Amino acid sequence: MQQFIATRIVQGLITLIIVSFLAFFLVRLKGDPVDITAPPTFNEDQKQRLRELWGFDKPLAEQYVIFITRAVTGDFGIAYLSKRPAMELVIERLGATWLLAGVASLIGLSVALPLGIISSLKRNSLFDLGSTMLASIGTAMPSFWLGLMMIIFFSVRLRLLPAFGARDPSAIIMPSLTMGVGMAAYLSRLTRSAMLEVLNEDYVRTAYSKGLITRTVVFRHAMKNALIPIMTVFGLQLGWLLGGSVVVESVFSWPGLGRLMIDSIGVRDNTVVQAALLFFSLSFISINIVIDILYAVIDPRIRFD
Amino acid sequence: MPGFNRKGILVLALIAVLALLAVPLGAQDMEETEFIFAHPGPIRTLDAPVTWFISTHWLANLLYDCLIWRTVDGSGYVGQAAESWENVDDTTWRFNLRPGNTFHNGEPLDAAAVKWNIDRVRTREDFMVQPQWVDVAEVIVVDETTVDIVTVGPTPYFEFIVSFNGCELLPPGYVEEVGDEAFSRAPIGSGPYVLSEFTESDRYVFEAWDDYWGGRPEIDRVIYQVIPEQSAQVAALLAGQVDMVSNVPAVELPGLEAAGDIVLTKETAAVMQHIYLRVDTTAGNMAETYPDFEPATLDLNVRQAISHAIDRDLLAEVHGAAVPRLGRICPHFPEGGADSFNNPETVTAHYDPDLARSLLADAGYADGGPTVYFDTPTVSRGGNEKEVAEVVSAMLEEVGFDVELNVLDPAAFGEQINSPGNNRDMMMVTLGCSVPLVPLFYRCVWPAAHHDVCVEEWDEVSNAILSEMNSETRLELWGQWWDYWFGVLQNVTLYEVQANIAYSSEFDFTPRKDGWYTFRENLKLAGDDM
Repeated sequence: MQQFIATRIVQGLITLIIVSFLAFFLVRLKGDPVDITAPPTFNEDQKQRLRELWGFDKPLAEQYVIFITRAVTGDFGIAYLSKRPAMELVIERLGATWLLAGVASLIGLSVALPLGIISSLKRNSLFDLGSTMLASIGTAMPSFWLGLMMIIFFSVRLRLLPAFGARDPSAIIMPSLTMGVGMAAYLSRLTRSAMLEVLNEDYVRTAYSKGLITRTVVFRHAMKNALIPIMTVFGLQLGWLLGGSVVVESVFSWPGLGRLMIDSIGVRDNTVVQAALLFFSLSFISINIVIDILYAVIDPRIRFD
Repeated sequence: MPGFNRKGILVLALIAVLALLAVPLGAQDMEETEFIFAHPGPIRTLDAPVTWFISTHWLANLLYDCLIWRTVDGSGYVGQAAESWENVDDTTWRFNLRPGNTFHNGEPLDAAAVKWNIDRVRTREDFMVQPQWVDVAEVIVVDETTVDIVTVGPTPYFEFIVSFNGCELLPPGYVEEVGDEAFSRAPIGSGPYVLSEFTESDRYVFEAWDDYWGGRPEIDRVIYQVIPEQSAQVAALLAGQVDMVSNVPAVELPGLEAAGDIVLTKETAAVMQHIYLRVDTTAGNMAETYPDFEPATLDLNVRQAISHAIDRDLLAEVHGAAVPRLGRICPHFPEGGADSFNNPETVTAHYDPDLARSLLADAGYADGGPTVYFDTPTVSRGGNEKEVAEVVSAMLEEVGFDVELNVLDPAAFGEQINSPGNNRDMMMVTLGCSVPLVPLFYRCVWPAAHHDVCVEEWDEVSNAILSEMNSETRLELWGQWWDYWFGVLQNVTLYEVQANIAYSSEFDFTPRKDGWYTFRENLKLAGDDM
């Protein structure tokens, strides 16, 4: 088991190095940040001095070495426009993003699992048809539209919930629901199909024939095997949520990482984009390592393989 | 209950009830006034001189005083840190500071502090506003409350420069003690409000400062809340959770009108919508596009045909909040000489499709063509760019042009026009329209920096305007300047953009003519004298 974890961590580190390389060079493919950051009052000499101040006059390879050497200590440089350390700006937004991702995931899971399990047990029933329909609606509804509709209903009409921000504790309800609905819809379909597949297995029939009640068969025998694909997809979705949802954060003015990243991309603030990208990758990789470890806990064959 | 008879208990109960009633009444008397503005974002640093973003300076002017500042109606200037000022000679401007004035931390705002600030902004090459201050040669401390700013040459629009981006005065002792980085986390100024809390580019809370030289502001708390989506801004206003939204899309106006407790007003956004035409293959970023590409717009006849083919009145209707114009100066500026060709009759008469066809024939396109490439963002500062560009394309095709319209996401459009090697004939841009700034953009020291053109005679006139201290002579020079504007026709002006502003009827608000959402004397509680 220890070797398995160590292998996954080494693989994660290699991925992170590759991502750092891509993050550095891809943001530079977008062009010279000075061209877009400098106001029209700057002439070419002034732009050149800015390039020197920001270190863009050095060869790319040298810039990368400087970047990676500092990045390992958490220093991504000073944001060009706000003059604050890029990492500080990223950390400032992390709490809001993680909180939103956590609550949205809880909503997603707490809706998807019961819905998917009951649908699989009552296949082709009215409940199954209803949950299929709900899942289709949930998947088809764009989060932008759903968010705005919620604001109009709960904030404008009922005046119950704050339309923006993250100051009031109730402010998380609408953005997390907006994100959670999509996740719930997708995961409930996946849970249903994974459960259906497992429920047709011989060992489940054996369990039933031994006289075990449905609850025991489902939770003790079937669920364990059905969890593998559900966890895989959940891990991926949670990874994306931790990177911040630009759309939901924009609609609800949620002060998360997604909005910071988009703002920074717009003005080519490479320091912030790189810091946010690497942090996003780190979250994504960490979650997937945890999920992999959980696979091994649930299914011992994975450890031995 | 020992010690109390029934009467005593009744008296005590009555006192308790009165006390309970008195608490909310007293609390009502003490209720603080709060005003929340929905800012479209992003907001950069509040170490204001560092940044060039106008919408960040909207906030900065609550926190900081400048020496002087522009009046709300755009007609002149008012003193902030300076009580009075005068032009001693062609190159010397004397500012008399308010005696005993301090920054929020008690540090004196004296002549030495002013010198430190202007020297900082004009020498720091990493500051985006630095080029605006290169005309300052020296700052001289005359005495504690008198400071002379000496310019390199005569600078008639110096009051504009000294009241524009980077004018904000910072406390030198505090900045030097904590450094730039720490200052940007906890900025201190001398303006009417103190920054009490903020999350970068999200929410900024300003509290009224009791010791402001002009008295404590009437609104106790001003909050700038970043809400990027326009629909979400409007919803927040309707929900009573923000008090003002600027740039309301026309489609949202009926809903706001029906709300009842919302005031709608319209004011210039101090920008004009233009079509940039490529007139040069050797200057500017545009020249580096498609090296072998031969733009049709190099021919003046083609550029004039474009200008005459456009029905600006119709475009203003399509936009929904615009006033048709022909020249890049907003009429509220006291000089600039643009009134004659920005009046409605002249603009309407300029639309002449037959003349456009004839000009195209003269350019050798009698049988149709030419093909022109037209880049536009879906939406930008001007609003509705995509819709307007589609109508412009239809108008151009009507007179014979073959238009290749390229609609881009705003970020992609920014990349396109600002990166060398991307542009061809035409692009949709929103440009400022202030008298002191416009001539700057048509000087030969500029073309290499942007999309502009170098015409030496025009350059001389622009430079003459920017150094002529006599206002009558300057007006004559403006007359010549406009001849080049229409003669070169690098920019085709379409209209002056207006902003639809919606705000809570609890407030009285006078919009600023410079299009800035800075709230000082122009915002009061409804019913109070403005």
